[in-house]
Order: sequence, then C-alpha cells, then structure tokens
Amino acid sequence: MSAPNHDRTKRRDSDTATSVTAVISKISRGRAAKFTALAAAGALVAGCADNAPQDTFQPEGTNAQLIDDLARPVFYIAGLVGIIVMAVIAWVVFRYRDRGQPIPEQTHGKPALEIGLTILPALILIGVAIPSVGVIMDLNETDDTECVVNVTGQQWWWEFDYPVQDGCVDGGITEPIVTSGQMVIPADTNVLIRGTSRDVIHSFWIPALNGKRDMVPGRVHNLRMQANEPGIYAGQCAEFCGLSHANMRMEVAALTDDGFAAWVDNQLEDYTPPEEGSLAAEGEAAFVANCARCHQVDGLEDADGVPQVARPDEQVYSGAAPNLTNLMTRNTFAGATFDLLRDECRDAVWEAPSDEFTDRYLEGVTDDCFAEVDLREWLRDAPAMRPMYADPEELEPTDGLYRGMPYLALSEDQIDQLLAYLLERK
Amino acid sequence: MFTTGTKFLIGASVVSLLATLIYGIGQDGVLGTVGLASATVGLIFLTSVNAILRDSNVFLDDEAPVESTAAAQPAPGASVWPLVFALGTVVVAVGLITYQPVVVIGLIALVVAGGEWAVQAWSERASSSGEHNAEVRSRVSNPLEYPVGGAVAVGIIIYSFSRVMLWLSKTNTVIAFGALAAVVVVVAFALARRPKLNAGAVGGGMAIGVVALVAAGAVTGADGERDIPEFETTSIWQEEAILHPEEYAEGAAEGHHPEGLICESPEAFPEADENASETVAIKSSIYEVVLNDSGTLDYDVPGVVGTSTAVMSLPRSNPTNVIFRNDSDEERRLSLDVGTMTVEIEHGEEVEEVEARNQICTTLIEPGGAQLLTFRVDEPTFAFDGQPNPNGPDDAEGFWFFVPGVDSAVLEVYVP
Ligand code: HEC
Ligand SMILES: [Cu+2]
Repeated sequence: MSAPNHDRTKRRDSDTATSVTAVISKISRGRAAKFTALAAAGALVAGCADNAPQDTFQPEGTNAQLIDDLARPVFYIAGLVGIIVMAVIAWVVFRYRDRGQPIPEQTHGKPALEIGLTILPALILIGVAIPSVGVIMDLNETDDTECVVNVTGQQWWWEFDYPVQDGCVDGGITEPIVTSGQMVIPADTNVLIRGTSRDVIHSFWIPALNGKRDMVPGRVHNLRMQANEPGIYAGQCAEFCGLSHANMRMEVAALTDDGFAAWVDNQLEDYTPPEEGSLAAEGEAAFVANCARCHQVDGLEDADGVPQVARPDEQVYSGAAPNLTNLMTRNTFAGATFDLLRDECRDAVWEAPSDEFTDRYLEGVTDDCFAEVDLREWLRDAPAMRPMYADPEELEPTDGLYRGMPYLALSEDQIDQLLAYLLERK
Repeated sequence: MFTTGTKFLIGASVVSLLATLIYGIGQDGVLGTVGLASATVGLIFLTSVNAILRDSNVFLDDEAPVESTAAAQPAPGASVWPLVFALGTVVVAVGLITYQPVVVIGLIALVVAGGEWAVQAWSERASSSGEHNAEVRSRVSNPLEYPVGGAVAVGIIIYSFSRVMLWLSKTNTVIAFGALAAVVVVVAFALARRPKLNAGAVGGGMAIGVVALVAAGAVTGADGERDIPEFETTSIWQEEAILHPEEYAEGAAEGHHPEGLICESPEAFPEADENASETVAIKSSIYEVVLNDSGTLDYDVPGVVGTSTAVMSLPRSNPTNVIFRNDSDEERRLSLDVGTMTVEIEHGEEVEEVEARNQICTTLIEPGGAQLLTFRVDEPTFAFDGQPNPNGPDDAEGFWFFVPGVDSAVLEVYVP
C-alpha cells in the first residue's frame, strides 16, 4: 500500500502508519465477518424457538401483559432509534471516508443542534417514563388480592405455603397447606405472593406471569401472580444464590376453580398409612428412621403411635426441607429440576390444551407414569445429582448444618421400600 | 600486606584456638569450652573483617589512584532502615514470648524496613551521582510509600478520634466534637482569607494538632470506653425467671420487679419496659396485630385486603415480623405462647431439665403506641396436640397471641 501523498499523512511516519492499518483491517475484516454472521445466526435461531416456556415475550397473565404492553412499544421505539443512529453513522463513515481530501474547516459548537439533540431524547424518555411509572404502580397493587400464598426461597428450592384465609377457593383455606417446587393456583384469580427467604437472596421469576422479584431474608416482598388460562408456567431463581442456583427452578400450575378446590381438599386429606405388610409399609418405617428428622409428612406416626415432628432447623442451614406429605401430586422434585413423570406423561401434562390441563395435572404421578430413575438416584446419593454443601466433613462454616440433602448411605432394599412408600404420598 | 592490627588479631585467634583445644581436652567443663570456642569464632571473624577492610586502606606510599580505593567513595547517606530492621527483629522476639499481635507488628516492621533498605541499597549503586540515585529511589518507593503511609496516618487519626469519642460521655462527645468542627471551620476560613500565611506556621500548628489528637487517643484508649448500658429486654427477664427461679422470686419479694413471667404479666417491669432499646427496625410487609379498645385482638396484613381470618397462620422456621398496635386505653404488652420447651437449669454440678412455656413478648406499650416483635417458631402446632395452653381461651390447645390482663384478647396462631 502506498501512502497517499497529501497534507495530513505527511505529518506522521506514513509507512508504518499505513502498514499497521492494513494489518488491522485484514484481521478484523475476516473476524468481524465471521462474528457478525454467527451473532446473526444465533439471534435468528433463538428467535425461532416456539417451545420456549420462559420467553418473556409470551405473556400469559394480566401482570405479564402489562409489562409486555409497555416493553414492546419501548423496544420498537428504541430499536427504531438504534437503527436510525446506526444508519446515520454508517452514512457519515461512508460519505466522508478518507479519499485523500484535505481536512475541512473545524468549527466548535452548534447550539441549536445541541439543544435540539438534548431535548429530543429527553422528550422520548419522558414519553417512556410516564407509562412506566403507571405500570410499576399497577404491578404493586395489593388491594384486589383474592388469594395469598407465602413463598419462601432457600438453597435451592422454593416452599409454597397457603395460610389460612377466606380467599383462594369457595369456603377458603381452613388449614395451612405446605408444598414445594410447584405452586398451584386457581386460574384467572389475583394471587398475591408474600415472598421471603430463609438463607440468602433469591429471586422469584415466572416470565410468563410477571417480572422477577427478589426474595430477601428478613423482609417480605409482594408479587402479583395471575394466569389467564389453566396451564403450567415455568420459571427459575433469578438471583445468584450459590452452588445450585442454576438448578433452582419452580413452576406455577394454574387450575380451574373446581380443580383448585379439589387440589386443596386432597392436600388437606388425612394421612393414609400404607397397607400392613406391604413394601410401602416397610418404606414407612425406613422413612421414620432415615428421613422424618428433616422431612415433614403430616400425620405420620412411628410404630408406637408417636407423631413424627420433623426438625429440619436442627439439620439444615435454611431451617427447612420440603414437606413430602403429597410429593406425588407435584410432577417435579428437588427445585423442580428432575421429573417425577415419564417423558410421554410429562408431555401429556405440559402440552395439554388448557381445558384439559387441570384434570391431567390432578392425576399426579400414577404408577404407570412414575419415572423412578431420578428419584431412585436422588435417594442413592442426592449430592451427586446436583451440587450442594452436603459433605459432613465440610460443614464447619454452618456449624454442622447441611445446605441441601446429604448422602444417606441407604441400601438398595431400603430405596425400593422408600420409593413404594413415596409413590403413595398423594 | 597485613597491617599491625591484623597481625595482632591473627595472633589472638591462634592463641584462643589453642586454648580452646587444650582446655577442651584437659578439662571436661562444657561451659568453658563453649566460651572459649565462641571467643575463637569471634576473633576469627574480627580478623577476617580487619584483613579485608582495613588492609585495603591506602598506604601513603601506595601508587594506586586515590579515587579507586574504597575509602575515597562517597559514604552512603544516613539510613534509618537498618535501625528499624533491628528493632523489628527485637519486637518479633519479644512478641514470640508475649503476645501474637506484637509478632505481627514486628513482622510488618521487618518487611517494610527490609524492603526500603533493599531499595535504598540498590539505588545507591545506580550511578555515581547521589542526586540521581535519590531520584531513582523515590521513583520506586514513593508509589507505595505515599498511599500506604497516608492510609496508616488517616487510620491512626480516625482511630484516635473514635477512642476519644467513646471515652467522653454521650453528651460531651457531641459538645466536644461540635466545638472541634467549629474550630476547623473557623481555621479554614482564616486560611482562605489569608492564603499567604507562613506555611511553616500552618504546618506546625497542624502537626501539633495531630500529635495532640493521637496523644489524647492513646490516653483515652488506655483508660477504656465509657459505660455503655445494656438495656434489659423482655427476653432477658423471661429467661431469668425460668433459669434462676429462686433468685428471681427473691428479687420479687424485695420489690425489684413484679412476680411471675414478664410475658404473662400486665405489670410494668421498669428495667425492661421503660429503658428498652428504642430502635425499631422497619421491615416491609409485616403483619399487624391490633388490640382494639373493645378488648379483642385482630390481625391484618397491611396493604392486602380481605385476608384476615380467625386464625393467623405463619410459616415454620422463618423469622416473622409482627407489629403490635395498642388501641386500648391502657398500657399493654403483646405476648405469644408457642407451647413448651425444655430448659436446663444448673444447680452447681447437677443439671435439671425443666419444661417451661416458650414465650416472647413486647414491652408495655402506651395507648396508641406500637412495637415490632420478630420471632421464629421451629416447632409446628401439631407437635403440641393434646396439650392445653394455659394462655389460650379456656386452656385451648395450640399457639396463642394474648395480652396479659385482657382475657378476651386472644388470637390463634397456626404453624404448619
Ligand atoms: C439432613 C436432612 C435430610 C434428610 C435426612 C433427608 N432429606 Fe430429603 N431433602 C433435604 C433437603 C434440604 C431437600 C431439598 C434439597 C433441594 O431441593 O435442593 C431434600 C429434598 C428431598 C426430595 C425432593 C422434594 C421436593 O419436593 O423437591 C425428596 C423426594 C427427598 N428429599 C426425599 C428424602 C428421603 C426419602 C429421605 C430419607 C431417606 C430424605 N429425603 C432424607 C433434606 C433431607
Ligand atoms: Cu435461588
């Protein structure tokens, strides 16, 4: 490349200058092209996913709709502004590229333009701010609540507890219900989450139903939830919370009013002990011996008729372990990370049309549909399934308390018994 | 060629060596041998030093150019670092037999002095120009010396401040430092008005101020902090009554406090009820429990409409914030009774296990007042099935909020 021979380049060492630019442009042309192509392809492919349950652009409830109605126009306007800016830059770069022409006269300041370019963005931002503030206010309404659910995050699963209340269902909820992993709500009902955490900050986020909200120890934060139609809506913890943050998921299952009433009745049913002499009965004994110190099963008694009161606060750092009374009414476990249903049964629930969803969900985990592999593996060695602080040798920082479920050294026979017992918990 | 001094030392070393050998073989006293051997080593060392250093001195009849001899080199500037290094060594040694922090201080001195010494020694060999060498030294050391030195100085000043503030009484601290702040403002104004004030005088004044402050900090720090009273809480009194029942009863008999558990008492416990810590943490979205003037307890979830029920259910093992508002026209406290707990009472060597009520309560709240109660319940309600609660209405089972002195004010709490 020869140095153009004019004023400007004369002042510097033209040889090195141009050869360096030449090299740079050679590298970056090749790389930039590849990178742009890849990025474009990535963006395209991501946009194509039709089965993306955590897509923020597919609102399924009034709250998410509010956000969508705000975000979309803003996104379009911002996109348009972005395109205009890029286009102008591209035009300037091309139009005034270095063709060897002399440097034009340099001027300083152009008040009219500067003031104009300050006022225009300010106006755009005000235009965005007014509806934003309105939506923020709407999303914080609590006085149209029809149902309250206490949501508590802990490493690395969510607990849902339905306090005694007049709302949620005809006749109200007469005794508290405690469940985990899947939050069941009546569809088309304004549910208010009162959320907190037992250990570190987590964030509750069901993209199809609302934005995310941090759940902070010692504080209670409200979050509205409403699903237009029955169905299941996936989400995940959105605030880094330690080892298994990536495996801390949750789902909201919205049922018809009747379906929800049936669910509530079932949750509050009295405990049915396994048939005497069955494998499950042996499982009950194994559960009392190995699990009941952490996991509550309401109504469970030991062989002498002593009610089993779980004391997870003496075992687990957060002070809680999932209540397993009705484990098989939910279809995922351990932070909604693993399935309790075989693939085809899971699809039947997840992809059910909304008018059939409630019935399919309420079937829970049937004998035929039970995907026992993951649960068996979990009982064999839970910490091997997902990272947790469960090595007894390394619990000094928590005074011997686990974070997660520890390895319990169960025999295969015990696991068979426990699986038989757990399969009846519904 | 050996100088006379060196010759003398060589002789002394040889004699000493011989003496050591003879004494060591002839007598079998260990101590003497050690002494003589040490003397020998010392003398040999001195001999070597003398031979190498003194003997390189120039003799008048030497022909070597005067500039190239060691004696003609400019002596390195005085340095404080070897001194600090030696001090550090001693401090470490002292620390090893006294306190660990002293070792740390000694080590810091060693590292700092060692580093500075090394840099200085290195810079003095950079060139033959002293000025240039000093500049080299600064360029290497200053980027570390200034920030670290500044931080240490500021740290010392702040620490001195805090010692003085903690030594003065609460009111005097405010007065003293208010006055000091005023002085600083006045001085700053004076300096701003007269920028040409003698720099030396200003610097001197400031130095005196800093020294005075550090000295005051040292004195007050040694004298200790003022008494910061720890206010009694209702929990302390509750625990006291359960763990030391006899002393507690004695205190009650002598009129120091009312009888019975504070959480079950409508009376005032002056220490806990009047001098209680005044801080109330405001947490979001708490439950509100209200004592109405009709003598009933109601609860409410602020901001949420239509959720109040006869039973208040709370999550287990989760801190719960309840704000108690007293809308009645008498001083009242809110108490919560969540079943029994087992406590261990020590009688000298023996430990007695006793069942006690598990209770928590606010202080007495004046009419119209409010207070926050934060608690956590780890056992579910059903764990106490079949056990009547003396604070429930008609000894009903379960967990209950109650207001001592107002029988109708009860509210059931359910913990699943
Ligand atoms: C030391 C306490 C402890 C013991 C003992 C224990 N677990 Fe767990 N378990 C936990 C904790 C904590 C979790 C939540 C882990 C997570 O999701 O990260 C859990 C999760 C589970 C889950 C998933 C529940 C859900 O809804 O997501 C099942 C099922 C389970 N445990 C079964 C058992 C069985 C069966 C036993 C007895 C053999 C047992 N556990 C013993 C602490 C314990
Ligand atoms: Cu989390």
